[in-house]
Amino acid sequence: MSRLVLKFEGAQLKEIPLGTHPVTIGRAPDNDIQIDNLAVSNYHARVYVEAGSLVVEDLNSLNGSFLNDIRVERAMLKDGDAILIGKHEILVDQVHDAALPEDGLRKAPAPRVNETMVLDTHERRKLLDMAAAAGERSQLSPERLLVPTLMVLSGRTDQKEYRIAGKLTVIGHSKMATVRLRGWFTPEVAAQINKHEDGYYLGRGDRVPKINGASIQGLTKLNDGDVIEVGRVRLSFLFRE
Amino acid sequence: MRPHLHIQAGARTDLGRVRKNNEDCYAIDDSLQLYVLSDGMGGQAHGEVASKLAVQTVLTHCRQSENSRATPIFGESSPDVSERTNRLSSAIHLANRKVFETASSNSEQKGMGATIVAAWVESQRLSIAHVGDSRAYLLRGGAMEQLTADHSLVAEKVRVGILTPQEADASEMQSVLTRAVGTTDSVEVDTDEQVLLAGDFLLLCSDGLTRMVTDPEIASTLLTSSSAQEAAERLVDLANDNGGVDNVSVIVLHAVEQSKGFFQRLKFWKRNSG
Repeated sequence: MSRLVLKFEGAQLKEIPLGTHPVTIGRAPDNDIQIDNLAVSNYHARVYVEAGSLVVEDLNSLNGSFLNDIRVERAMLKDGDAILIGKHEILVDQVHDAALPEDGLRKAPAPRVNETMVLDTHERRKLLDMAAAAGERSQLSPERLLVPTLMVLSGRTDQKEYRIAGKLTVIGHSKMATVRLRGWFTPEVAAQINKHEDGYYLGRGDRVPKINGASIQGLTKLNDGDVIEVGRVRLSFLFRE
Repeated sequence: MRPHLHIQAGARTDLGRVRKNNEDCYAIDDSLQLYVLSDGMGGQAHGEVASKLAVQTVLTHCRQSENSRATPIFGESSPDVSERTNRLSSAIHLANRKVFETASSNSEQKGMGATIVAAWVESQRLSIAHVGDSRAYLLRGGAMEQLTADHSLVAEKVRVGILTPQEADASEMQSVLTRAVGTTDSVEVDTDEQVLLAGDFLLLCSDGLTRMVTDPEIASTLLTSSSAQEAAERLVDLANDNGGVDNVSVIVLHAVEQSKGFFQRLKFWKRNSG
């Protein structure tokens, strides 16, 4: 039986058996082969049998359909042909049980549907570049060189100001606390600040801290100028040059 | 008084309803309070080899470092996190090297790899390290947070803002990882730290759970189980009841306060002096 094989970066994502119905390809979820890539049109192309021949037809897609690297509107397909749509490749396979490679070395089997695969380094690099571009807009951008700081507005602490360094900043009486609270009945861990990829988050400790007067619900992202209240201590969260 | 947390642990791994072999693997060292879970990949039985080797390497390296401070550090240490967290990261770097070397020396196993998520608790401090799409969740006061960011193509696209979470959930590309243990000669390890509080639940799991069971279902299961072990078993059952398309593994940790508070000490003192 013939089939189409959807591949991305050399790895097999999906197999689609070819029957009497046309196989539709596109970004919209109701396609037989859905490809979630912005380079792919909602209804990009279809493959169907006409007069005994397999045919690929581009459905006026924005970025085109390519058969063996040539842009096509409509073309006949044969075994081994590769249709390129966006970055995805669709192989035409009319010989189902391919023989083992002749070099005698059995290669690792290609991942099947739903089987986990790892992106190659080239593709990952592109993604990192995109992430870096996005990162320039976030708080943690190295471009801005801003140091997150906690300034004590009121209450008993061991310093007047703290620079936040590291992934975990503890506010409390505990020895592991960066911001040491003084006084009797002060909780060991009153609150904690976690550094994430996109900024700093305040979480509860043995107490539920407040941000700008409101008790937090779960981890809450801190913004420049926020006032944190832990018991009787009030701290201002600031990004400093 | 410093609260003394006792960690109750429960765990289970299961084949699921569709797969023919279980490539997931986990290990628990109660005395070290070290918990490791891994999801192998690579077809045939190689995923199993990769995940077992990764888990075992992490366990061995952390145990060694406890006995000898001179145990070498693999990968770069970060000044942002504690020595413990750096040690956990080092263990995963070593696991990466071992899986990669094993795969490279055996053409049958070429391309095998694994995800890994590991947690290490020292008094109140929790260290997390991970590679891939196995996750750590923290359930605290009714709110559940994912502590790990998946190293998968769709998750990274969501973070960059070119895909919505809904599109990610519907995507064909969910199984494409951007990082894994053992597929390249070096790997970047992500770490996180938290202060554990009495009552916290920590969940380590493979994607076989999170693709089958929603976050609210997970949270309510953790909150309504009578023990960590029961919670682990109920979560696996839920994944299987919802389809069980993949291997599913969970480690459930529950931080329970041990009664060493002021009044307990007072009672103890009265008993002994009376």
